[in-house]
Order: sequence, then C-alpha cells, then structure tokens
Amino acid sequence: MERVVFDAAAAIAVVFAALMVLNRNPVKSVLALVVSFFFLAVAYVLLFAPFIAAIQVIVYAGAILVLFLFVLMLLNIRQEGVEKDPRPIQRILAGAAVLLFTIFLVTLLARHGAPPGLPATASETGAPHIADVARAVYSDFLLPFEALSVLLLAALVGAFVLVAKERGAKA
Amino acid sequence: MIGKIPLGDVLVASAALFAIGLAGALLRRTAIVIFLSIELMMNAANLAILGYGAALGTVDGQIAVFFVIAIAAAEASVGLAIFVALFRHTETIDVNKINLLKW
Repeated sequence: MERVVFDAAAAIAVVFAALMVLNRNPVKSVLALVVSFFFLAVAYVLLFAPFIAAIQVIVYAGAILVLFLFVLMLLNIRQEGVEKDPRPIQRILAGAAVLLFTIFLVTLLARHGAPPGLPATASETGAPHIADVARAVYSDFLLPFEALSVLLLAALVGAFVLVAKERGAKA
Repeated sequence: MIGKIPLGDVLVASAALFAIGLAGALLRRTAIVIFLSIELMMNAANLAILGYGAALGTVDGQIAVFFVIAIAAAEASVGLAIFVALFRHTETIDVNKINLLKW
C-alpha cells in the first residue's frame, strides 16, 4: 500500500516537474512546480520525515515559490520568446549533455539499484521520531543551526542592498 | 517504514526529477525558470537523501535536508534580488541577451 501511494506521488511529482520545464509561461512553470513539491511532500511523509514534509510545504511551496511568483509579477515577465536562437550549437550541446546524463543515471540505477551494504528495508522501530530530529538539531548540530541564522540574516541584508535604489537616484 | 517502499523506487524518482531539472537548467532561457530548475534538482537530491536516511533508520538524512531547505531559502532571496537588479539594468532576464561580459 505504501509503495503504491509513494509511486503515485512520485509519478505525479515527475509529471508536474516536466510540465514546469515544458511550459513557456513562467507563471505556469512556478505553479506546476508548486504542485510537484506538494506531491514530493507526500513522498517525504512516506519516508518517515513528517517534519521535512511540513517545511517542504510551508517553506518551499509556501515561501520560496511565492517569492518567485512575486518577482515574476513585479518584473512582468511574458512568455519566453520563440525567436531563433542566436547560438544553436549551445542548445545542441545542452541537449546532448542532458541525454548523456540521463543515460548515465539509467545505467547506474540498472546496474546497482539499491547499493550493496545498505539494508533495502529497515525495521519499523528504526524510524526516527520528530523529537529525535529536534534533539539532534539542538545538540549535535547546534553550531551549524546558529550559523544558519546568521546566513539567513546575511541573505536578508543582501537582498535589500541588491534591490534598494541608489541614494539620490531618480525613482 | 521504507520496508514497504524499495529504496530503488526512491532513487528512480530522484534520478528522474534530477534529469528533468538538468534539462530545464540547460535548455530554458528565462533566468527565473533556470533558477526553478535548480530548485527542482535540489529537491531531487533531498528525496535521495531522505530515502537513504529512512533505509538506514537514522535522523541524519532529515537534518541534512533541513539545512538544505534553509540554505535554499537564503539562496532564493539573494538570487531573485540579483534578477530584479539585472532587470533594472537590461530590461530583460533572457540569459541569451545578457552578454555584457562576453568578449
């Protein structure tokens, strides 16, 4: 049962990710990615990470992608043009790189699947509880956690500095 | 637990999402869509990390993903601010038309 739900959620996430790449309208791209991330959150719940699923919905789909939408609407971005690419060789090389990478991934998975030395299944009792996540973050990972708060502050200030109009400049 | 979900399924989903993200990052021309594709690749990596974390029954995978999401938030805010600043200068965010540094 879990496997069916996981596979369905993952398949829908993949379909909407493909729609995100294929859509010419950037606003529709963002909305497709929101749906994709929601279904990824379902997959995270099934992988026994309910906390990550929650922040996936709240932070990723709720904050980061809405920020993308704000910027798109602020800049009033239209459809991506269909005009001739000035450097077609770049696109051919990019397509070849994607194809090569996909073949690489497929062969890797076909050869190894679940890597050796790892249990393909873990016991029910081995599932970490959300309290264990909190305990680890506030003990073993306290320093990175505090550094993260400084990083977020730096990002906040950086975004302000980048977007603020220069003093004395005309609006 | 992941007992019902084979790790292979998780890895296949992760690989598919990563390949789609790579295609988007390399083939699209709107800077914001390229950025979205990079976010998608990050999520593909997160899925693989969580899959391994669940298979091993440890909490470390979830911690790593927690930090990745927080850093993605910081990165998105600065990246989008750069796009806004860029748009003010060039009136476009088509990466083919932003070629000031090209010799």
